[in-house]
Amino acid sequence: MHRIDCPWCGPRDEAEFAYRGDATVRRPAHDAGIDAFYDYVYTRANPRGWHTEWWHHAGGCRQFVKVVRHTMTHEIAGTGKAGDSLPVPAE
Amino acid sequence: MCAAEPRSPLSVVAVPAHPMIAELPSAIVDIAARRGRAGDLAAAIRAEFGLDLPPPGRFAASGDTTAVWIRPETWLVMAPRGAEGALARRLVETAAGAASVVDQSHGKTRVRLAGAAAPRVLAKGCRLDLHPAQFGPGQAAVTPMAQVGAVLLQRDATPAYELVVGSSYAVPFLEWLTDSAAEFAGTH
Ligand SMILES: [Zn+2]
Repeated sequence: MHRIDCPWCGPRDEAEFAYRGDATVRRPAHDAGIDAFYDYVYTRANPRGWHTEWWHHAGGCRQFVKVVRHTMTHEIAGTGKAGDSLPVPAE
Repeated sequence: MCAAEPRSPLSVVAVPAHPMIAELPSAIVDIAARRGRAGDLAAAIRAEFGLDLPPPGRFAASGDTTAVWIRPETWLVMAPRGAEGALARRLVETAAGAASVVDQSHGKTRVRLAGAAAPRVLAKGCRLDLHPAQFGPGQAAVTPMAQVGAVLLQRDATPAYELVVGSSYAVPFLEWLTDSAAEFAGTH
């Protein structure tokens, strides 16, 4: 189990959160074409290593929390608000 | 126009009485600051109610009115049940456009749990550490309690807690709370 440090609520149990995927994808321009939108919706890198992702604090303040998590060790390097830019460790 | 008086969801079933537990019939109103207006809202609430809207993880009280932080720039304001809609109207007039105001009095139910054993009653359904070193008077949290979304606050060092849950969940929540407290009925 993770303990995720919500920027508003403090450390909370993983069960209070809903995982909402890669926090680095950006919506393409509206005229970018079907392939760009396919990638935006479906294609993910699924890395073995550090991953910047969304965890929605659904059971608490209902805010989207940005989390830098290692997908193999589950170590959490940092958390922040949606607009924060979080440093990602080298490896 | 005359709106129906809210009826407690707890009035229609027989949850066994427990000396540590009591419903607090309340007016409960959600106020969310409009974009860029949190400072105006705080000043207006301070002037009208004599309380400072609290930061995350806290509540503030003045007289019989309590404001609990529940989300960024959003609070639940609670007071003993008065005339239907009166607290919401007072908050609309006070906020004067600085906040969205939603009357939750029918939708939420407020319960008090007090006694030395209260942290152990809650521990069976709560993920937060309620040890006095971690959680004390003045603190509040939004957290699932026995699988039910709840607002929790600690009123004093008795310890006395208050819990606010959706009225639809109030009956099963009270059944859980009463059951959890049963073993402490003679020791509170
Ligand atoms: Zn939170």
